[in-house]
Amino acid sequence: MDRKWRLRGILGVVAALTVAGLLGFIVLPVVQGSAAGIDAFTAICRAVGILPGSPARPTPPSEAAPEPVTKVAWTAATFEALYRADRASGARLAEERCIACHTLEGNTPDPTIPRNVGQSVFALYKQMQDFRSGARVNETMSPLMKDLDDRQIADLSAYYGRLFRGAIDPAESGRYVGIDIENIVTNGDVARGLPPCAACHQARAGGPIETPTLTGQYAQYLEAQLKAFASGTRHNDIYHRMRSVAAKLSPNEIRMLAIRYAGQ
Amino acid sequence: MAATQQDVQRSETRWAVWVSLFVVIIFGLTVFAALVLHRNPPSNLERIDPRTLHLSGEFTEPNLGTRVEPNGQVTTRIVATQFAFVPPCVVVPADREVTLRLASPDVIHGILVSGTNVNTMVVPGYVSQVHTVFRRMGDLLMPCHEFCGLGHSQMLARVRVVPAEQFRPDAQGRVSCAAS
Amino acid sequence: MLRHRNLVLAHLWLAFAVFAVAAVFGVWQMWVRSPLHAPYENPQNYFLSVTAHGVSMAYVLTTFFVMGFGYFVAETALGREIPAIRWAWAAFVAGAIGALMAALTILSGYASVLYTFYPPLTGSPFFYIGLVLVVAGSWVWCAIMITAMAQWKRANPGRAVPLAMFGTVSNAIMWLWTTAGVAVELLFQVIPAALGWTDTVDVGMSRTLFSWTLHAIVYFWLFPAYIAFYTMAPEAAGGRLYSDTMGRLAFILFLLYSLPVGLHHLFMDPEHSTGFKFVQTTLTALVTVPTLLTVFTIAASFEVAGRLNGGTGLFGWLRALPWHRPMVLATGLAFVMLWFGGGGGLINMSYGMNAMIHNTSSVTAHFHLIFGGTVVIMYFAIAYQIWPQLTGRTADSSDFAWQRRQLWLWGIGMMVMTLPWHWLGLEGQWRRVAHFDYDDPLIAWWGKWVDVSLLGGVILLISALLLIRNLASLHGRRAAEEAPPQPMRYALALHPPAHLPPALNGFALWNALVLVLMVAAYGWPIGQFIVQPSPAAIVHHVDRPG
Repeated sequence: MDRKWRLRGILGVVAALTVAGLLGFIVLPVVQGSAAGIDAFTAICRAVGILPGSPARPTPPSEAAPEPVTKVAWTAATFEALYRADRASGARLAEERCIACHTLEGNTPDPTIPRNVGQSVFALYKQMQDFRSGARVNETMSPLMKDLDDRQIADLSAYYGRLFRGAIDPAESGRYVGIDIENIVTNGDVARGLPPCAACHQARAGGPIETPTLTGQYAQYLEAQLKAFASGTRHNDIYHRMRSVAAKLSPNEIRMLAIRYAGQ
Repeated sequence: MAATQQDVQRSETRWAVWVSLFVVIIFGLTVFAALVLHRNPPSNLERIDPRTLHLSGEFTEPNLGTRVEPNGQVTTRIVATQFAFVPPCVVVPADREVTLRLASPDVIHGILVSGTNVNTMVVPGYVSQVHTVFRRMGDLLMPCHEFCGLGHSQMLARVRVVPAEQFRPDAQGRVSCAAS
Repeated sequence: MLRHRNLVLAHLWLAFAVFAVAAVFGVWQMWVRSPLHAPYENPQNYFLSVTAHGVSMAYVLTTFFVMGFGYFVAETALGREIPAIRWAWAAFVAGAIGALMAALTILSGYASVLYTFYPPLTGSPFFYIGLVLVVAGSWVWCAIMITAMAQWKRANPGRAVPLAMFGTVSNAIMWLWTTAGVAVELLFQVIPAALGWTDTVDVGMSRTLFSWTLHAIVYFWLFPAYIAFYTMAPEAAGGRLYSDTMGRLAFILFLLYSLPVGLHHLFMDPEHSTGFKFVQTTLTALVTVPTLLTVFTIAASFEVAGRLNGGTGLFGWLRALPWHRPMVLATGLAFVMLWFGGGGGLINMSYGMNAMIHNTSSVTAHFHLIFGGTVVIMYFAIAYQIWPQLTGRTADSSDFAWQRRQLWLWGIGMMVMTLPWHWLGLEGQWRRVAHFDYDDPLIAWWGKWVDVSLLGGVILLISALLLIRNLASLHGRRAAEEAPPQPMRYALALHPPAHLPPALNGFALWNALVLVLMVAAYGWPIGQFIVQPSPAAIVHHVDRPG
């Protein structure tokens, strides 16, 4: 009796695997491949998963000239560079070339110039790299970044990003300027396909790595950037993330959002 | 009716046969679709580096959207990212086979096109590929259907299905919503 | 009364208390999704709630219920002491601490990653470590269950292991096999990322490892319900189990075929080949068989009971069944929901049809109906059945009336909630949305159906609160005139097996076959990531600023 059950059990498993394997790895891909003009061996390799593509379709052609909006990619090397950054060198560099506009504390007095103190290290790194590569253009910043190398930019990012006196802070709540604006910040607007600002620009949002901190930034600067994104003048945001958002906001909303994030 | 052990065994066996037949038929439909209609679940297995997606060829911004390739194939390339599709609107021709290729530079997304059999996950590290023929004309909803963060609920694209005479590619073979 | 009743009560109360709180979250979520304006409505709160609800219902309610019920079965079915009782309590404490850790991190907004985790989105390490503790506790339970059965077999050579215990140990073995996937994912990928030791994660690998666990875990949840179908329902109906062998066969088939099928949760994923998806579809077709066999066997058992009770004719036996008994009523309601939920399962398995409903509300409807409906209603019935033996109180007809009300509300609420969801899913309504644009003409008409399913959810919440009331009312002093509770009587088979072949009384062969199946089904799907890791994706932390 035991033998009967053991046999049935083993036979069941073997039969299931054999039928499934024969159909799934041989019959189906060969039949599909022959209809699509793919040779049997390639079709089987695709069905097993050791070659990419489908056993039923030839891979579509694709050629494209790369025209990236930024040259920054968050690879292991980039992360390494930022972790190993030398803040002391960064401080020295800041003293040489940043102090006039951004001050050493990162707390500029001019509201058209962004405060850097405590800004996301990743955001700072990306923007400086974009100024250097020309992905982002500013008549003051672009020439200043031209002769810096990756390590120096990393050092500068680490320096300003790790200052904390009076830091701009994603955990701060900003200033209340009305329920409609607060709604855009927290809930976005699904009718316009507008994600909430807080979906990225907030502590614990889990959004893109290079997302800058907004809370505590100068309203004038924020408004100028949103306008630049909306018109496309600024276009170093990867995959239109900010351009698509800014273009959907009305000029008044842009102004009020900037005031809201600036805080006190 | 006293059910003897043989009665029990016989009835169970009979039921097992009917049940297995039922399951085999349902399973057989899948096999039929695979053999005759060449239908497979989306399984492209094509790898791509999400961190350099925006730098390298196929999924850079100017190359996205619908393009008629030199061999006549209609390919629509879309990037799914936090929290929008790029481009947010694509044009596709009706009654003609369209290949959709999607990639993500960040987290897991997914798409379906309402009213069609287009449905696939978009996993960072891989190019998702689906093929379909759009029959229904008009604007179709293409939401992101996998949780991708706090902006997931607002992540929507439109697929505009147009009749053949309105599907006019430009010099590079591209068709976009703005033009149509 | 049960020797270790406090152990069982601790597990079951923790499970049901968390369940009741999670039900409140669930209703709030449905309110948010509807056109009606809900309080505290925003994406942060919504996804926090979805995480809390999912983790509570899928990990806490289930694991603690299964463990508690397992200890009950071990003591009553085997008629002996639970071995290593100190370890059992330690496991409970560890699990409870783990659940608390997870709860605190979720509720404070540091782990809104949903119960399926979805790396590269990564929450606080304490969230994952908390869940690892829950799983570790359950592994101790597995060891105790296996040991208990082994000890009984040694003391009773040649005798058939009582079916309820055989089912419980099948479940324990299956759980050990299935948790390996998520354990490896958490220990080697997600927790290191959460701690900041790695900046990137191989998403193909993590999804695949999670899928390893994802299917058999639902059978882990389901086993108590099926144990009740086979060993409690026929007795409550006043009859006998039609076939003891069929019960064992069902449990063995679940053990074999619920494990190597996880890839069917990844049908729409690009990182797996058509061939392996097809192989796992075939195996999924096989795992439908034990459920279909169970439907026949239990229906036949009920027919035996009905006819014993005087029922005649083709369907007269149905009416003759003692539906006033909660266990019988629950089984009937469970079977109605199994019809719809199981049908949904067959649709999901056919990947062509699956393409129409993947990640739509149909999926949400399916698992709420089959798990929240069929399985959880049996959890209630089991609780009602065994509570007297845990508390020393006997339930009277008034108690039964309240229990029936609670069960009816659950069955009706579940159908009202999930049927519109199924339909809307077919129409393209997608999942995990905190806010629909009901002004969009393509979406507007969904609104009233979402309201209907919200109504179903409210009915379920009432039922959930009623459950707590019913269980609580069975605590306290026994009145002088109240009879002491009856000891547990498991259903007898029509033809109790005199001798069982070792194949139906133990798991050596089946474990070996599981190994073969897992290597065949998951060998290359996982191996491919070791041979050639996926291009890594950057970790997105949701527990720290940028």
